[in-house]
Amino acid sequence: MSVTTTTPPKASMREFIRKGKPPTEDYRELLFELEAKGELEVQRVPEPYVEVETKYGRKKKIPLEQTWHHKSCGQCGHIPGYSTAIFWLNRKLGYEYHDPRDQTSCTAWNYYASSTSNSGAQAAVAVRNFAQAKLDGFFPMIHCGTSYGHYKEVREEILHHSKLRDQVRKIMDRLKMPFVFPEEIVHYSEWVHVVRQEIAEKQVLDFSGITATVHPACHYHKLVVEDAIYDRELYDGQRTAIVTALVEALDAKAADYSTWHDCCGFGFRHILVSRDFSRSFATVRKIERMKEEADPDVTITHDTGCVTTLDKSQFAAQAHGRNVGIPVMSDAQFAALAMGAHPYKVCQLHWHGVDMKPLMEKMGIDHEKAWQEFEEVASRLKDNGTEFMTWEDADA
Amino acid sequence: MPNLPVLVIGGGPAGLEAAKGIADLGYNSILVDKADFLGGNPIFADYAAITPDMRSAEEAMDEMIAKVMVNPLVDIRLNTTVAASEGDAPNLNVKLVNGKGEETVGVGSVVVATGFQHFDPGKETQMYGYYEFDDVITLVDAERMLKGGNFIQPSTGEKPKQVCFIQCVGSRDRQIGNFWCSKVCCGIATKEAIEIRHLLPDCRVFVFYIDMRMYGFWEDELYWKAQEEYKVNFIRGIVTEITKRGDTVVVKGEDTTMGRPMEVPMDVVILSIGMEPSEGTKEMAKIFHIPLESHGFIETIGGALNTVETKVSGIFAAGATTGPADLEDSISTGGSAAMKACAFIRKAELQTV
Repeated sequence: MSVTTTTPPKASMREFIRKGKPPTEDYRELLFELEAKGELEVQRVPEPYVEVETKYGRKKKIPLEQTWHHKSCGQCGHIPGYSTAIFWLNRKLGYEYHDPRDQTSCTAWNYYASSTSNSGAQAAVAVRNFAQAKLDGFFPMIHCGTSYGHYKEVREEILHHSKLRDQVRKIMDRLKMPFVFPEEIVHYSEWVHVVRQEIAEKQVLDFSGITATVHPACHYHKLVVEDAIYDRELYDGQRTAIVTALVEALDAKAADYSTWHDCCGFGFRHILVSRDFSRSFATVRKIERMKEEADPDVTITHDTGCVTTLDKSQFAAQAHGRNVGIPVMSDAQFAALAMGAHPYKVCQLHWHGVDMKPLMEKMGIDHEKAWQEFEEVASRLKDNGTEFMTWEDADA
Repeated sequence: MPNLPVLVIGGGPAGLEAAKGIADLGYNSILVDKADFLGGNPIFADYAAITPDMRSAEEAMDEMIAKVMVNPLVDIRLNTTVAASEGDAPNLNVKLVNGKGEETVGVGSVVVATGFQHFDPGKETQMYGYYEFDDVITLVDAERMLKGGNFIQPSTGEKPKQVCFIQCVGSRDRQIGNFWCSKVCCGIATKEAIEIRHLLPDCRVFVFYIDMRMYGFWEDELYWKAQEEYKVNFIRGIVTEITKRGDTVVVKGEDTTMGRPMEVPMDVVILSIGMEPSEGTKEMAKIFHIPLESHGFIETIGGALNTVETKVSGIFAAGATTGPADLEDSISTGGSAAMKACAFIRKAELQTV
């Protein structure tokens, strides 16, 4: 028998062509239908906005400014440089935003750990925050991946359950606030994604020698999957482009690894009731694999739980001599550093568990000088009895 | 009324059998296919061997093609598509288009045999890395290699040491809206597993499945044979994603028998892609105003007792046009559609006498 090998086409020659309708409904259509019936008000994405492609080919509008920043409990509590970096980027790029002081905590963490609340209360918290954003004249932008994922689930429930809408309406009436829902639920990392070229244009540090692994947050791309940003140019359109696109825009190398799809270990329930599992998962399944397969200088992610779990879990593993020790930070911190943000006054890397100094040296940051500057400001604050550092302090 | 021919659309197994059957009953047919060859998917996709008897697919199709090629009652039109239809059967005027122009033909009845298309493994789930990794291939890619009498790891050109099949890619999947079992993938994967083990005795072969659907004689002729004679490993479990560790493709998922996660490096991963209605099937449904059933295939009206009659009088459907079908189904429904199409014309003739 003669042998003729017909080798399958190389992956680079295989072209993914989207056909047919998306398998999921378009929430925008349903929202506008409810608005037409007078059931709620849809807050439109303000101009200017950027349209990006999501998983099933639909377009999602990402606002550039007039954004109402729905902060993350975990970021503010454990890694404050995360949210500071987001605000710093907005300021440096010249986009108007609002940092509200009357945001209600979303309660989603406990919801995902099956330990609190009911659907009416949760939906009302989401709508209350959206209504406040509308009343303030800004469009919601969610910092926390958990809140972001949860609000998208709330949207599904509100769209499909009239009784829930009635419950929420009653609560909003008592609060004397409108029943408002935004046209899009936007995660801050989507904003970072769409302004990445602007960030790259203002980049002052050379990241070409930096290798980064990316961890995409489960609540971003696995929950309500049709809402995540995909790009044909990245992973051949087969995985979400979020974060990786930024890493590449900043000229760093995005290195792949075999547990890319895996959770960081946080897992909500696990971090509350089985923390050892979270720690082991984060180090054994994620960090050690990255180290073994890509040996990155840093891991970039885009959610509170992911930064915290991947970073803080390494402490115990390091004490046991495991193959760990990868600095972890958010995309916003990475971008801010690239644009010259102060590593301690803005990005507050001293709150992170893994030693950042070798990474900073590779990035061309004089971390000793930076720490001295930070201590000077801190001591001035102490002497003056002032509680907070100002933007002027941060940029001084 | 004039002795109008039956229009058979699609020259795959069902269409070939229909055209042959119509001729055997003494009626004329026009057999059209958009391709420049007959034989349908078995020829287009270079199928190596028929499931389950391992007979050469090309040889089997050649035999079917030869029976219509020499038959004066079958008017074969290749490179031809159906563009429009006017009127009602048995007085349909159908516009045919080919490279030379267009022609309107009068036909008494129609058999739609436009079949299926293979599921795009990158569609929607997008977790199997088909568009990312050279060593992730489909059943069709594997079939092409096996037809050439060889099986290699695409990225290296070397003989693989470890190969796996992943079943139900694009089938039985609520997430993507394909609720149906594609019927043939379990059999074909098992057949290919045997062929790989036959070619490469040192290569370990795994099949990851939800459940193996081995209809009729496939049970002992393929499934038992694969396990007992060829030592193929069947592992019940759900594969969640495929990634890469260095140069090696890694299959991750859950072994549901053992109740634990699994992570297995593979040289080649073969995705057992299912069937979806072809573009031709959807197009013909529009042109002839034939309703589709809930899964998107052409709807038939008789349930289990009449598998070829559509809601449109005088229009019949055969093969995978009406749902996932194996070769036996396609041939059987091709014959049944031929008989009913001729009967339809015969009844019309009698009414006009």
